[in-house]
Amino acid sequence: MRILRSWRYPGNWPIFRFDDRLLLILMAAIVGNFSGLASVALNRSLVMMSEWIHHFRHYWWVFVLPAVGAALSSLFLEKVVNEGAGHGVPEVIYSVSRYGGLLRFRSSFSRLISSCLTIGSGGSAGPEAPVVISGAAIGSNIAKYFSLNDRQRVTLVGCGAAGAISSIFNAPIAGMVFAVEVIVGEWKSVNIVPIAIASVAGTEISRLLQGNQIPFSHHLFNIDLLNIFACLGLAVMSAAASILLTRMLRSMHTVSHKVSAPIWIRAAMGGCAVGVIGLFLPVVLGEGYHSVKILIEGEYGQVLAVVALASFAKIAATALTLGWGGSGGIFAPCLVIGSLVGVTYHHLLALFWPSVSWVNEGYYALLGMAGLISGMLQAPLTGVFLIIEITGGWEVILPLIMVSAVTTTLCHYFEPASYYLKDLVEHGHLLRPGTDARVLSDLNVTELIEKDCIIVNQNMLLRDFVDIIKISPRNYFPVEDDQTGNFLGIIHLDDIRPYLFDPVMYDAVFLGQIMNTKVEVVHPDDDLLDVVRKMDMKGLFSMPVVVNNRFLGLISKATILDQYRKELMVQTSH
Amino acid sequence: MENRLLHIFRNNPFGRETLLQSIYFCNKVGAFPVIYIPKTTKFLMYFDNDVVQVDLDKSYLISPETALKRATELLEQGGISARFLDPKHFTASTLPDIHTNFDYMCCPRSVSDMSSKIGLGYIGPRVRRIVRSARFPVLITSPVYKEWKSIAVFFGGSANAIKALRLGFHIARASGIQLDVFTQTEKFSKEDYQQIIKDRNLEEEMELYVKQWHFFENRVFEENLYDVPHDALVILGAFGHGVIRNFVFGSKMEKIQSTISNNLLIAGPNYTTIR
Repeated sequence: MRILRSWRYPGNWPIFRFDDRLLLILMAAIVGNFSGLASVALNRSLVMMSEWIHHFRHYWWVFVLPAVGAALSSLFLEKVVNEGAGHGVPEVIYSVSRYGGLLRFRSSFSRLISSCLTIGSGGSAGPEAPVVISGAAIGSNIAKYFSLNDRQRVTLVGCGAAGAISSIFNAPIAGMVFAVEVIVGEWKSVNIVPIAIASVAGTEISRLLQGNQIPFSHHLFNIDLLNIFACLGLAVMSAAASILLTRMLRSMHTVSHKVSAPIWIRAAMGGCAVGVIGLFLPVVLGEGYHSVKILIEGEYGQVLAVVALASFAKIAATALTLGWGGSGGIFAPCLVIGSLVGVTYHHLLALFWPSVSWVNEGYYALLGMAGLISGMLQAPLTGVFLIIEITGGWEVILPLIMVSAVTTTLCHYFEPASYYLKDLVEHGHLLRPGTDARVLSDLNVTELIEKDCIIVNQNMLLRDFVDIIKISPRNYFPVEDDQTGNFLGIIHLDDIRPYLFDPVMYDAVFLGQIMNTKVEVVHPDDDLLDVVRKMDMKGLFSMPVVVNNRFLGLISKATILDQYRKELMVQTSH
Repeated sequence: MENRLLHIFRNNPFGRETLLQSIYFCNKVGAFPVIYIPKTTKFLMYFDNDVVQVDLDKSYLISPETALKRATELLEQGGISARFLDPKHFTASTLPDIHTNFDYMCCPRSVSDMSSKIGLGYIGPRVRRIVRSARFPVLITSPVYKEWKSIAVFFGGSANAIKALRLGFHIARASGIQLDVFTQTEKFSKEDYQQIIKDRNLEEEMELYVKQWHFFENRVFEENLYDVPHDALVILGAFGHGVIRNFVFGSKMEKIQSTISNNLLIAGPNYTTIR
């Protein structure tokens, strides 16, 4: 029994007491393997479902398939697993920001099944966000099982995300960079080492079960200076496409919520619209990896107008799928839209400067993919490394960096927060480690209350109060009703200064006459960030904490600063 | 600092009974109820090492327009001014986070199943998860409003039982009612249990707050439970042992909750002594 019990607490094993980084490395390998398996499972399920659905592609009613898939997906999430949450990645970042990476166990499988139904039936979404939340939830629950602390749990959540992305793309560096840049948001060795291990584990699982293949075939491009500079124009187009996609996703979400129908019917409506678009432009259906392959190889073979229309159609289809209740992520649609935008740009270059020898359109498709990923995620490193790894094209690294950097900068100008972070930033939920908001969120009013206050009552004479002032080191004195004990107000030394030097007033003034009754109070449940803002706005140094008309103590800027420094040291000590 | 009790209000007659129990408990121990009137059928509670999704049954959302008024009336009748919880954070738009910085929580035996299914011997999975994860004790109420006139603490000598005993001392101090302590003598003798109390430096409190320490000699625990007063608040520890041990030897908490219909105040393995 004791052996079983100690198994649950590996932090107590002698080897890990010596260095707990070893514990994280071991756990990271376990998490990486499990999240890799989850990715492979979703990947294989999607392939199987697509093959099965393929038999029905020639029927006239095929456009209802995405509707059925999206409706089933929505029903599964709402009625079977009771998820009640969004597409995944923002939930993971929220949990990392506010609750030390705690995620529900059901999240480790729910999005895998729901996204398989949505994408497999033809919905325009990607399997990456579902595997990210799945991997992250696996990491979180393994950390919970082994009773790891918050910081270790957050690292394992990052490991889960890294393992999942590494596995699904066979791209360990991209997985690692994504986890650190987007999920954890903290470039420190204490995170990076375990996340790197998890990436390797996830990738190896994928290679073992699916073979070591680069997802998109590698082509050599002969890139001259002109083609490098030409990519600046593509960066502008990618940024425009990113902003359009972000805004359409949000507006579709808003519009769908105005429809007074059950969520599964709304999902079906969105899916049906996607199915109709897919009848004319099949490139919009599914996750679109096959289309990306064709576009990179320069075999799409459509004229400018069709490629441009396909770009807009894919943006609309993705917004319809995800905004109306389908399940999935934006990674794969970004790759498809990016490659379409790249090919469109190539056609435009060829149209305006036909005499220039432009590189093959596959080159611009690659750059467009990097641009869209960087623009939507505002994570330029993820965009660069992902495209390099999934295409094996190291020779395009310079234009890739340029496109990623310029697209991210332009998008940041119009959309200050990425698609994943926009809601979190708007609601004040993005709390990255070491930031002011994060430090304050980890403190609460209750632990900062100073209770060594001398409480006076409203019927006390100024003479008696002067005697109290002599022995008190404080400047604030709360006043309570001597009958009910209710908090009435507060007296600051400044309030009695006019009377202090006039002894005649000592027996004529009661504290009830001079106390400040219009005092701003704090409740123990208030957010410390709000309390500090209130203090700053009103120029206050101390505020009384009152609950149910009872005075509990004072909260002061000095104590907040003291605890703030301690908390900051804890958060940044690794 | 004033102790606070979290109560999830169910706007039907069964919920009224539960709220009345909460109000009575708060009045007895000097705590202050914080009422959450749910607007969605699910919410999340983030504990130190667990996140519990509470899926409420639909009866919690019956006639939301009257819920606030009814809860306020009941609280005012109980002499308590109403304070309602308005969630500030949301994991998703329909998934509010209810903070867990409370001193007690009141639950019926189940929050996820229709009240018609709830019976003696059944504690729902969500309530169990909350008891396992919470730092606060959970008040599991009897199906109908029942005032308690005495306090019974079950003490079996384990670390969790010590926590339950300390909680009993706190309740005794706050309510002014002395405790009856009940112990089923199994592998230990009376002296062994007294030695445990001595080792934990609890002799003084035992002297101060305990009216009588009852030792059950009869081997059948369920039969002994008849000696527990029907109008006692029963305080006990739960989930202190692993699954295997509970499977092999059985769980005292399960035997108690399936035999008596008193109000139960349960301290889980993560319960920390109250402020």
